[in-house]
Amino acid sequence: MKEMIYQTVCPGCNIGCGLYVRENEEGTLAVDFMKSSSANLGKLCRFGMKLPYHYSKATSMVDGKEADIETAVKAASDKLKGAKNMAMLAVGATTNEEHLAFTKIADALGIVVNTGIGAYEEIPSECHSSISQGIPLDDIEKASRIALFIDPYVQYPLLVRRLLAAKKNGATIVSLACQDLNLADENVSVNPADYKTELGLDDNSMIITDVHPHTDPEQVKNLLNLALMTGAKIMFMKPFVDSTGVHLFGKTAGQMGLQEIMDGINDGSIKTLVTLNSDLLELMPNTDEAAKTLEKLDNLIVMTSRDSPVNEMANIVIATEPLYAKAGSFMNVEGQVLNNSGESTVGIDAMSTLSQNLGGEASDFQTIHNKMMESVLQKYTAPKYSELECKVMETAAPSEDGGNLVSVYNPFMWCDQTDDNDFVIVNMTMVDKLGLRKGGMISLTSDAGSVNMRYTVRDIPDGLILTMKKLPVITGNTTEVKAEAV
Amino acid sequence: MVEVGDMLVGYATDENIRSRGASGGLVTAVLAAALEKGLVENVVVMKHINEFEAVPIITDDVEEVLASTGSLHSVPVNLAKYAMGRKVAMPAKPCDAQAVIEQGKRGMIDLDNTYVVGLNCGGSMHPVTTKKMLIEMYDIDPEDVVGEDIEKGKLIFKTKNGEEKAIAIDELEEAGFGRRESCRFCTLKIPVNADLACGNWGVIGDLAGSATFCQVMNEKGAKLLGNAIDAGRIEVQPASDKAIAIRAKVNSVMEDLGNTLEKEIFPDIPDEERMQYYMEQMEDCIDCGACKEVCPVCACGDDAKCTMFHSLVDNYKMSMYHMVRLLHLSDSCIGCGQCSDVCPSDIPITLLQSRFAIPSQRRRDYKPGMNLDTPPFFEVMLK
Repeated sequence: MKEMIYQTVCPGCNIGCGLYVRENEEGTLAVDFMKSSSANLGKLCRFGMKLPYHYSKATSMVDGKEADIETAVKAASDKLKGAKNMAMLAVGATTNEEHLAFTKIADALGIVVNTGIGAYEEIPSECHSSISQGIPLDDIEKASRIALFIDPYVQYPLLVRRLLAAKKNGATIVSLACQDLNLADENVSVNPADYKTELGLDDNSMIITDVHPHTDPEQVKNLLNLALMTGAKIMFMKPFVDSTGVHLFGKTAGQMGLQEIMDGINDGSIKTLVTLNSDLLELMPNTDEAAKTLEKLDNLIVMTSRDSPVNEMANIVIATEPLYAKAGSFMNVEGQVLNNSGESTVGIDAMSTLSQNLGGEASDFQTIHNKMMESVLQKYTAPKYSELECKVMETAAPSEDGGNLVSVYNPFMWCDQTDDNDFVIVNMTMVDKLGLRKGGMISLTSDAGSVNMRYTVRDIPDGLILTMKKLPVITGNTTEVKAEAV
Repeated sequence: MVEVGDMLVGYATDENIRSRGASGGLVTAVLAAALEKGLVENVVVMKHINEFEAVPIITDDVEEVLASTGSLHSVPVNLAKYAMGRKVAMPAKPCDAQAVIEQGKRGMIDLDNTYVVGLNCGGSMHPVTTKKMLIEMYDIDPEDVVGEDIEKGKLIFKTKNGEEKAIAIDELEEAGFGRRESCRFCTLKIPVNADLACGNWGVIGDLAGSATFCQVMNEKGAKLLGNAIDAGRIEVQPASDKAIAIRAKVNSVMEDLGNTLEKEIFPDIPDEERMQYYMEQMEDCIDCGACKEVCPVCACGDDAKCTMFHSLVDNYKMSMYHMVRLLHLSDSCIGCGQCSDVCPSDIPITLLQSRFAIPSQRRRDYKPGMNLDTPPFFEVMLK
């Protein structure tokens, strides 16, 4: 009996939680705790505990038929040679090394690799490093006042212990999250224009927010301004295992967000899409809408280490080794480079062949890794930025017979993975208004359709309905819905 | 001829194993012999990654067993679950041995086929805390550490350049370092619940530092040790009266310390405040389920009552998950600390479980994981 044990990093977000994956001879996986990992001390959140479900292995396919990886790479080369209206997408859900190898394919094609975060294009480039550069997680514990613009319990659970430690050290936590947080000393709702005067931040404070493919760039600008004006440190949490790495090592100019890519496919300016560990059916708020859009492509070429819904739609699937088995590294939200113990370079080798077939450079793991480490070791100071002009952020007032359905993005949602989260959150005002009954359901209807959901009651602002799961009625970050008791 | 009750001092016959092992390599040699001679099919050992990291592996390779020598005070893992479903030998801290027996009571481990080589344990430390402690208290770069030991109440680190630095554990714990909280109130220091109880307490004279004191606790222990002697892997000699007395004295000091710290760690809470206390402690739970997953005495699997009656949609102040676990584990919680270690919200779950369980266990004169003579008290009550 021989068991393989891999030292790896949880792909649920960019905190960089270390863990072991155990794989027995039958291929059954189990997660084990890596207590020496400084990012998480071996602790894992609900998503991390369910990782074996996430690591379902992919199969290479060409035009709906199983193929070996060499055949799939050859078919991809044939499709890409001379193709026009192309786009490439890699959100940062694989290793630094694979991302850089993928970038070489983009170089050969004369295009950029999009990381899917459109906010970068809306924000002056001198601010980019302030968004992507890491801050040690230990700094949270040293802050005297922390302004939270995320829900750590749901979105980035391994922050909870850091925030509780900060409180033990005397910090005051003020939350501007969608729902009241138990760990917050103050749960407030403040207009962005009043952040500076109302939040009481100074240069011993920290602002914790996040940036992801659906982030409103105006909110990023507002918070960058808040950090600039108060001297507070700002920490942008990110949703993918190598989100920090792809922005540090990739090209930030000319980036398209996920919605722009979908718009490009819809208007015909993108006909061929190549993705790396980035499933748009999972990443877009509405799966059905995303599927309709992807059907319009001439070529969908998917490079992936897991079996996800988009593989079914792809013309070509280049299936690489599971993430935990790859040779390579990730850069977490702190800016730490975290290495996998895996030694497989199947993915990089496939990308190298594809790049060469397209007249580009070859990639070998060690060369890419060494170059990446050299650039990490270079000392770098973020350039200063000036106050940014912001538009007034307005949320549509909910209609009399409904509310605004808001997604609380979390690891399960980004992967569209099943969890015990098939309910929405409402407040008592809505319960009374709609006459919701204990144990009953709430019906939500939007332009995209209708769905009946279980609900739970928490302290959230009037007119708000929160979901931690992708729902077929969602049309954007905020969806106006008609709500009724069922 | 080895007999139950024997108290011996011994070491590995292979010089290499003897010099690399923590105390003469006896435990490593006993485990290797069990595998070579077919007493077991597998051995559970800790595969070293570095001084602060090791991962449990289940191996049938004698070389892997031999490569696992050395003490690991800062790798706090409970090994019981790795023994399930196998004919296996394993090293075990007292709490590992307790968990093996609790799983045995619940039919999850076949105790006839599980050989437990117990190791004295003064407590274990968290690896990340230990690294911080090395920098702040010892002024040692963690990368320079090549070995560690606990002796006469002091924690000793050895560095690459051959230096040793010792600081009293009391001093370290006052500064917020040292042993995990669950280890501080533990009073089971010699694994008398294992098949063999091994350690360096009582190893004196010329053999100090290069041999292991070994007490044969039962027939399986006699078989294990006899097997290693027959295989030529170890040499043993009777322990002297002085050695036996010193071992007992060290144990007594450690037990007293545990009892003293228990009073400090568990201050009284008035009856009327208990519910509020538990609710407040649990309120930052993120429902990850890691505390159940890692629990070495939980034998429920996926269809557990604690998860069956719990849903995220519920709005209870304290979830049914925790309520059920508090009750269910009150006759089996061994206070090993694994649940606290892995809690992403740093909830001191072990302390909460122990605070709940210890009074019931004491009232019934029942200490879980000690032997098979007394069934779990819930079972007795149900009958």
